[in-house]
Amino acid sequence: MSPLRSLADRRTSRTDPGTAPQHPAPARPRSRPRAWADDLVMGMRFAAGGGREGWIRTALTAIAVALGVAVLLIGASVPTLMDAWHGREKARENLGQRHEPPRGDTTVLYASSDTVFHGQAIRGRLVRPDGAHPPVPPGMSQLPGPGRMLVSPALKKLLDSPDGALLRERLDYRVTGIIGDAGLSGPAELTYVAGSATLHEPSGYRIDHFGKAWDPPPMRPPAVLLVIMTCVALLTPVMVFIGTSVRVGNEQRERRLAALRLVGSDVATTRRIASGESLFGSLLGLAAGALLFLGLRQLAALITLWDINVFPADISPGPLPATLIAVLVPAASVLVTLFAQRGVTVEPLGVVRNRPAVRRRLWWRVLLPVLGAALLLPLAREQQWTDSPFNTVRLAVGSMLLLFGVTALLPWLVDTVVSRLHGGPVPWQLAVRRLQLSSGSATRAVTGITVAVAGAIAIHMLFTGMQAGYTEAYAQSSKERPDLAYWGHTDSWRQTEQALAALRATPGVKSARGALTANIGQVPVPGHPADDTGYMTIAVGNCAELRKLAALPSCGSGDVFLTDQRDKDVIRPGATIDLNPRLIEDDPPEPHPWQIPHNTRPTHLLSPGVGPNHYSFDLLATPSALDIGRLNSSDMELTVDYDRNLPDAIEHIRNTTAHIAPALYESSTVDNPHDQQLSSVRNGLFAGAVVTLLLIGAGLIITTVEQLHERRRMLSSLHAFGTRRASLGWSILWQTAVPVTLGLALALGCGLTLGALLLSIIDNGVTVDWPVVAGMAGIGAGVILFVTALSLPPLWRMMRPDGLRTE
Amino acid sequence: MTPEGSLLAADGLHKAYGATPALDGADFSVHPGEVVAVLGPSGSGKSTLLHVLAGIVRPDSGTVRYGDRELTGMNDTERSALRRTDFGFVFQFGQLVPELTCVENVALPLRLNGVRRKEAERQARDWLERLEVEDIRGQRPGEVSGGQGQRVAVARALATRPRVLFADEPTGALDSLNGERVMTLLTDAARDTSAAVVLVTHEARVAAYSDREIVVRDGKVKDMLAGLQ
Repeated sequence: MSPLRSLADRRTSRTDPGTAPQHPAPARPRSRPRAWADDLVMGMRFAAGGGREGWIRTALTAIAVALGVAVLLIGASVPTLMDAWHGREKARENLGQRHEPPRGDTTVLYASSDTVFHGQAIRGRLVRPDGAHPPVPPGMSQLPGPGRMLVSPALKKLLDSPDGALLRERLDYRVTGIIGDAGLSGPAELTYVAGSATLHEPSGYRIDHFGKAWDPPPMRPPAVLLVIMTCVALLTPVMVFIGTSVRVGNEQRERRLAALRLVGSDVATTRRIASGESLFGSLLGLAAGALLFLGLRQLAALITLWDINVFPADISPGPLPATLIAVLVPAASVLVTLFAQRGVTVEPLGVVRNRPAVRRRLWWRVLLPVLGAALLLPLAREQQWTDSPFNTVRLAVGSMLLLFGVTALLPWLVDTVVSRLHGGPVPWQLAVRRLQLSSGSATRAVTGITVAVAGAIAIHMLFTGMQAGYTEAYAQSSKERPDLAYWGHTDSWRQTEQALAALRATPGVKSARGALTANIGQVPVPGHPADDTGYMTIAVGNCAELRKLAALPSCGSGDVFLTDQRDKDVIRPGATIDLNPRLIEDDPPEPHPWQIPHNTRPTHLLSPGVGPNHYSFDLLATPSALDIGRLNSSDMELTVDYDRNLPDAIEHIRNTTAHIAPALYESSTVDNPHDQQLSSVRNGLFAGAVVTLLLIGAGLIITTVEQLHERRRMLSSLHAFGTRRASLGWSILWQTAVPVTLGLALALGCGLTLGALLLSIIDNGVTVDWPVVAGMAGIGAGVILFVTALSLPPLWRMMRPDGLRTE
Repeated sequence: MTPEGSLLAADGLHKAYGATPALDGADFSVHPGEVVAVLGPSGSGKSTLLHVLAGIVRPDSGTVRYGDRELTGMNDTERSALRRTDFGFVFQFGQLVPELTCVENVALPLRLNGVRRKEAERQARDWLERLEVEDIRGQRPGEVSGGQGQRVAVARALATRPRVLFADEPTGALDSLNGERVMTLLTDAARDTSAAVVLVTHEARVAAYSDREIVVRDGKVKDMLAGLQ
């Protein structure tokens, strides 16, 4: 019985024995939505009960859709992920506020004690409550007492591991608890909050709450580009794969649809039924994609991309994007099926392919990449990237047009090249002629490779260029500033001397020098606004330390020297200056006048100027020349030269400085944070590209096996008259290799062009990541072999004599 | 026991597909230049007999001798080589490679035998001319009629000058006029080259082109000539 006939039809068509057969009552015409719904449901029933091939097609469609849905859900989660990440950062922080509350029962002194251990950044915070009810940051129930600390799970793990032995020396607080998720930016974050009994102003800020008004910086163009291009590079192959998988088992489906036509189904109905079949796979894929997404996001804790590491729960798309994905993905699958059926008419006695020969026109195919390049070229020629919405849109649209232009160019390129190929051995001839007759399927599958490889190469080039730029900059900085520099508040020369002594006793330290430095200013004149731009600086140290800064003819306790960098109108023997100038926009402090001794002698700095290892002190003084306690916000500045060949020398130095003062800031060029960031992004991209290529390989296998299946009778006959298996195997290899090679060549050209343009846009020198280019080409070759190898068993099967049976 | 002077002979062939026997002690022989028609109803085992005789399928038991060589003792490579050099095939459907032109299709077995392309295509053109389809040599199978396609298939089968030509329902997809023309050309060409022809058909009209008819029924072979005698 025809599946198109309704239950009512069946009831009316039943005839009682002995009665004359009656014509069934004419069915009422179905409304358009009803017809769609009925036919889609019928198609879904066929998919579920369509036998092995039907299930293979359904499973492949579901796999493709699941991959697409998972990628889309992850992409749609980026805004919420960033909001959650920034939200936790805002909620737990309150450093750097300008207007400190008065000391009270609910205030706490708060300071940063960030450090680095083996290249890993560790966020440290010191707290010293002023009273019994201090504010508590998220993730903690109370602040740790003096000498105790709360740590993140990742830091606890590191401290407990043998690798963390040196770090335990640095953070020698007693661990009394674990910071909860609300107090962490991500599960892999290394952070601690320690109680300090010695923290004081101005090393610590006084705060009465945690949580700061802070707007996260907008995403930088490379990051925006990365997100857009990654989504495009991943989704295009997935869409191609969906397009490929809905064609699996076409022959059997077309026979079924022809049977439906024979029992009265019209063309539109058969198309809707076919769409229903892929809708079934698509809905299964939607569910599988959601599960895959939930599974993949559990891996979030293991991934740190661009210093961003988040909790699985942070990766959660908003309701609107999630709804759109749930609706649009199945709809897209139906559209792909309808699109695939254009030019195919299912007739009652079989399928008629009446698609006219497609003449591939070059002009519009070239137009897309040319337009893309035209949008990007002016950006590349600009002296400097201007971060504006218009430029960002131009950048994104230009990149997309270049990438998609490649997909449009590929069919033309394959057709043009293949039509010029002649001769060669039999396998080559079979492959070339097959492509000449119809290159559509192979080209469609290879399109995904082209976009993925071009995108991956371009993004790789971008990040390789950026990484090279950072590496060069750090190398240059290391040459200019080979030493480690530390600074932090102190109000005594003795403490500075002790710090220098401790550093000199540290393993690996070759030399250490230092001074106590502070800003000084002109004594404010009552009724006139204080000139807060006219800062001058003073360096205080014993004669030995001052000799490392300037050429001193002689030096004794109580001596003061005028440097050749000074403002000669203000700094002169006998002049009175203010040791307590206003440093921030606050009420002017009480002036601390100090008269420069009359016997002050001039000197010249050994390395005058601004920048690393250059000094622009106006005055040099020995500690007994003035009352250091009257200086406003004095710092110790320490410079350390160390033995780079001694393992962990820098970690020993950091341990020493942590004990001198945990809140000392380090300035060094030892760790290039961008190196690890960019390497992780590049590795992630490469892995993504490999997965994408494998997906394309799977699509190619489906296409090849489907072709073999349709030609099994011909293959059996070729085998019958003695064609070697190897000959047909080679023909499959060539049939895959020609479009893949052309696709890769096009992808290399497009990827390199796009990469060069992107690097020019961000003002980086153009560097080609040849290992990646070679890697991509190698993987492309691997895909060819992989497809051929996996197509051989079905080929051998199709060559069996069973195909010759006509009965 | 092999009949004297036979080119291809089979003795006691058994072949089953699962539990279904296709050949059940079938014997067969064909002499050089002889056209033997294999008749029988659908499912009687005609095609299986042809496949076993041609070395495409191995029998479960029994022997096939080609000249002084035992086919059933050969491995797949040896049998494939034999099919390339000594046997030719014409089938009812799907025998032409759709992406190759007609002349390339005919040249294909020659090229598989190592003949250079130009020479193979020259010989192919001769065969196409002989089978009266020289004018379609540059067209692909999808662009020619069924009768023309079948003549191209016959040309391809004869191009290597096989000693045995196997034809499985060669006119099954053709109208009677075209069918007769194809049969005339096929048998004439085979006789010209002294090729033996094993012709599987269920049409008496086609079988009339043969020198001898055998009937396969339930996997057993009955020689009609012997029956008459």
